[in-house]
This record gives sequence, C-alpha cells and structure tokens, in this order.
Amino acid sequence: MVDTFHYLMAGFAAAATPTNLTFAFIGCFLGTLIGVLPGIGPAAGTAILIPLTFQLDATGAIIMLAAIYYGAMYGGTITSVLINVPGEAASVITCLDGHAMAKKGRAGAALGIAAIGSFIGGVIATVLLVVVATPLSRLALSFGPPEFFALMIVGLVLVTSLAGNSLIAGILMTVTGLLISLIGLDPVRGAPRFTFGLPELFDGLGFIPVVMGLFGVGEILATAEKPYREVIKTNLRGLIPSRDEWHRSMGAIWRGTGLGFFLGLIPGVGAIIPTFMSYILEKRLSKHPETFGTGAIEGVAGPETANNSYANGSMVPLLTLGIPSSPTIAVLMGAFIINGLTPGPLLFQERPDLVWAVIASFFIGNVLLLILNLPLVGLWAKILEIPYQYICAGTLLFCIIGAYSINQSIFDLWVMLGCGIIGYLLRKLNFPLAPLVLGLILGPQIEKSMRTSLEMSAGDFSIFVTRPLSASLLALAVVILAFAAMQYAPKEIRDPNAD
Amino acid sequence: MRRGWLVAAGTFLVLFAGTIYLSSKLPLLDALGPGPGFFPLILALLGVVLSLVLLVQLVRQPDATVGAPDPDAGDDLVPDRSAMFRIAGIIVLLLAAFTALDPLGYRLTALVFITLLLLVLGVRNYIAIALVALALSFGVFHSFYYWLKVPLPIGAFGL
Repeated sequence: MVDTFHYLMAGFAAAATPTNLTFAFIGCFLGTLIGVLPGIGPAAGTAILIPLTFQLDATGAIIMLAAIYYGAMYGGTITSVLINVPGEAASVITCLDGHAMAKKGRAGAALGIAAIGSFIGGVIATVLLVVVATPLSRLALSFGPPEFFALMIVGLVLVTSLAGNSLIAGILMTVTGLLISLIGLDPVRGAPRFTFGLPELFDGLGFIPVVMGLFGVGEILATAEKPYREVIKTNLRGLIPSRDEWHRSMGAIWRGTGLGFFLGLIPGVGAIIPTFMSYILEKRLSKHPETFGTGAIEGVAGPETANNSYANGSMVPLLTLGIPSSPTIAVLMGAFIINGLTPGPLLFQERPDLVWAVIASFFIGNVLLLILNLPLVGLWAKILEIPYQYICAGTLLFCIIGAYSINQSIFDLWVMLGCGIIGYLLRKLNFPLAPLVLGLILGPQIEKSMRTSLEMSAGDFSIFVTRPLSASLLALAVVILAFAAMQYAPKEIRDPNAD
Repeated sequence: MRRGWLVAAGTFLVLFAGTIYLSSKLPLLDALGPGPGFFPLILALLGVVLSLVLLVQLVRQPDATVGAPDPDAGDDLVPDRSAMFRIAGIIVLLLAAFTALDPLGYRLTALVFITLLLLVLGVRNYIAIALVALALSFGVFHSFYYWLKVPLPIGAFGL
C-alpha cells in the first residue's frame, strides 16, 4: 500500500505538470463536446481525435484520450436533458427524468446534480481503482496463456450476451469481429491470411478506421435520416439543487457510485447497463416510484453517477488485465498500442510512471470536468444550437483526417467508408456493434493465447480445463451463455407454468 | 425488419462459408500445434451454424419480432426519399473525396467536399457555407499540418 501511495504521488507530480494539465483540460473539453453533440459517440469521438496526440509523448497522449472518454460521459447528459436525445448511449435513461425536469424549468438542477454526482462517482471510483489496481495486476501476472484465453472468452461472452436483443446476432457479431481481426499475417507463423495478395492487408484492417467507420460514419448516415431537433430554451441559472432535491439525490449518488464501479470491473458490461440498473434500483427504493419519468431527480442523479463511476471503474480491467470492457475502452486500448504500449499487468512493472500519471490524471480530470460543466453549462447549451449539417460536415472531415493520418493511407479511408455503410445497415437492423469491436480488438490476443496454450500442451485441448482458474473461468462463460440463452428462449421454455 | 434480417443472415452464411473455404487452404495443424487456418476455421464453422439457426428461426417463425428498430436510425428500414438522397449524397461525396485526396491534396478536396456536402444536406446560406468550407479546409489543414504535425496530403497544385 505504501508503494501504491508513493507511485500515486509520483503520478500526481507527472500529471500536474503544465503540459499534462493542458492535455487533460483539452481532453475534458473535447470529451464534453463529443458527449454534447448527438450523432457522435465516445468511441468514434475518441478514435477521431487520436491524430491530435501523434506529437505528444505517450503519457500526455493517454491522459488526453482518457479525458476525452470520461468527458464524453459527462457531456452526454446535457443533450439528454435539453433535447431529449442522448449525446451518448449511456445517457439514454437520463432523457426520461432529465428532460421531464427541463420541461418543468428545472434543467439547471438536473444538470447540476448530474455534474456533482458524476464528480463524486468519478473520484470515488478512481480511489477504488487505486486500491485494487496493484493487487489485481499482481494477480494477473500469475496468469498463463490458458487463463488469459479463458478470461478473454468470459469478456466476449458477457459483451455478447448483454448487447442487443438477440443472442445469436450478438454471437454472430463477435465471430465476425474475431474473423476480421485475423486478416493479415498470422502472428505465430507469419503466413498471410485473407489478404488476397493486397499488401495493404498484410498488417490487417486498421482498428481505428474500422471503429471510425462503424461508429462515426455509420452514426452520421443514421442521423442523416432525421437531422432536425428542438432544443428546450430553459432557465439554466438554478444549477444548485434545492435542499429537498439534495436530500433525495444523495442516496442515489452513493448507490450509483458503488454500482457503477462494481459493474466497471466486469469486462463486457458496457456503459448502458449500470445506468439502467441504477435507475431501476432507485425506482424500486423510492417511496414515490410513480414520480419516475415525470422529473424525479433521483432518476438523474443515480444513473449519471453510475455512468461516471463505471467509466473510471472500467479502467481497472483495461489497465490490470489488458481487457477492454466497451468499444470506447477498446479504442483507448488501440491508442495504447499505437503508442507502443500494451495495457495489462506488465505495464505496471514496465511503465509505472505512465500508469500512475494516467490514474492521477483521472482525479484532476474529474475536477476539471466539474468546473467545465457547472459554470459553462450555458456554453454547451449554445453548442447544441449549431445546426446538424455543420456538425455532420465537421465530423466527417475529422473522420477522414483520423483514418488517413494513422498510416497516410487512402486504403484506410476505403475501409472506413465500407465499415460506415455496414455499420449503418447493422444499426438499422439493430445488430449490436459492441461485440464486433471487442472481437476485433481481442481477436489477436485470443488466438495467440489459445495457440500458445496448445503449444504448451502439445495440442491437448484439456489444458483449458485441467488448470483450475482457466476451467472456472470457462465454466463461468458457459453459465453466462446458458443464462443468456434462457432469456432469449421462447416463453414456454422460460416459464413452463405460465398460462 | 424480418426481410432485412433474412438478407443479413444469408449474407453472413455466404461470408462464413467463403471463410471456411479460404481457411481450409491454410495449414490447420503443424508440428507446433494449431496452424494459421485452425482458429479461423473454427470461427467460420461456428458462424455458419449460427447463420443457419438464425435463418431457420426466421423462416419457421415469420411473425417473430427479431430486433426492434433502432430509434436513432429512423423508424422504417427504408428511409424516405429525402433521407435517401442525403445518405446517398454523403456516400458519393466521400467516394469522390477519397479519390481526389491524393491528386488534389487535402485543402482543395476538403473545400469542395464541405461545400457540396452542406448543399446536399440542405444548407442554403452561401456565406455560411463558404466560411465553414474555408475553416474546415484551409483552417484545419493549418492547425493539423503545422501545429499538430499531422501529415495531410499536399496535391499537384501545392495545396
């Protein structure tokens, strides 16, 4: 623990340098902007802004990109409250009571409690991240390839079973993502796979162009169908909630913090589930559940806190295990890789300076976001009035710059456009995109751990079930899949006694 | 929606079947264990099975509601005429921009792309179009190329 404190203090010293403070501020500002603008989610937003970090050192780059991520989580609330459209998916539930509060002239209080709750949730989750990071990374160091393989399977199974409303569609998306990740040279033998003789494919399909296509171009195409929206003109002065509103919100904030952090630890949960669970929990615990949906402040405070607590908690599996828990975290993982870093337990040993500076920057970032969100809420509301067409033009242009500049490759632009059209069609059909992205980023690691494991056992598959931890994790994956399958099974199978 | 899912399931089936064919041409096993074709073959087989299950489900339960429409993506699977025009316009302009990017360079391409894009999206304030197009072409180029040192293409006219 003393070591952890020492590292954290060194991290604060690094994160608080004027340069890194500036990067954190820019990241928070851009993240809030991405959250505020509907039609551009945090995954695409973070990916688009990666080129901004090309000239930065790895610490500054990761600090800025992480700030963009949790900044977007803050910003999404503003759009949900003022125009009843979630700025990012995790703010969907805030539309219900946040927008209802805005219609009653309490938009300021809704945004105020969301910012304060997000701050409390974000800071406490970061404290918990500090506490669990070192022990977890040490534990992860004892993992061999079979355990890592099993752990990544659990993550993928969780994403698959929790995303969308069809288990088969979820698994199909995962398999597709995994297969796309295999394009290029085989990581063990170096043999080309599915490259069709194209040298551009030898390094595989670029993760960033694919994500920008699926989430950036795909979202733009989808929002081009309904480009008009109405912003509520409301009083934003009363940002500090009333005494009664405070009283009703505090319990929701504490519960949202715990729930968000805990769910953030589980790879694959995604940002939407903590907010929905928090909303349901608050409604169940409320003495007046009938007020939910009509402007109950607990319905804003709980989910918004859970949302940010989750954002910081989800850094735990990324930093300690190298497993991303959502598409945006997968983009962050991509940014680590672009900077020559592999997130995971070894990073704590090889680059403790970077890891702890990034963690310390989370504390600083949460303070910056509180400052950006409370006094500047009027500015964000004004940004919402920018016509959609200009936002669309800017976003597409930044997608082009982002996809092109990584390899200075026109081919990457074609990949982005192809993925954009596919992403648009998949959105229309309601196929979940998160499993595809996680399959894409985890595919090479899963294959490598599987093949290394099988080389260790001379081709004997029982290695995955004879090692206790690997066997337990795979059993857990089977149980999760079975539960998910039951959920999607016909009613007569789920409940034979019904009717 | 059901027809869309049928097409999607059929497409997945063809893609996974193609992957099985391509994977089978790669070494599946060698002296060290699984070869380059092993993992893709397993995945593609799984994909074929799931696509078939989905197809059977869709055919046997024609009334089954699979996948509610995404509220952000419009209520109908096929967008109305004006939306279709905007979407097709964006795609065509992106295709043209990618083709022109290397020969014409970022600034000229972005200038024309943004101007046409805003027109396609229905903006008719020509002063605003000109200002936004200039800012996003020359302004963005200056910021990225000179300040952020992000390499952007310079074309035949030195722009």
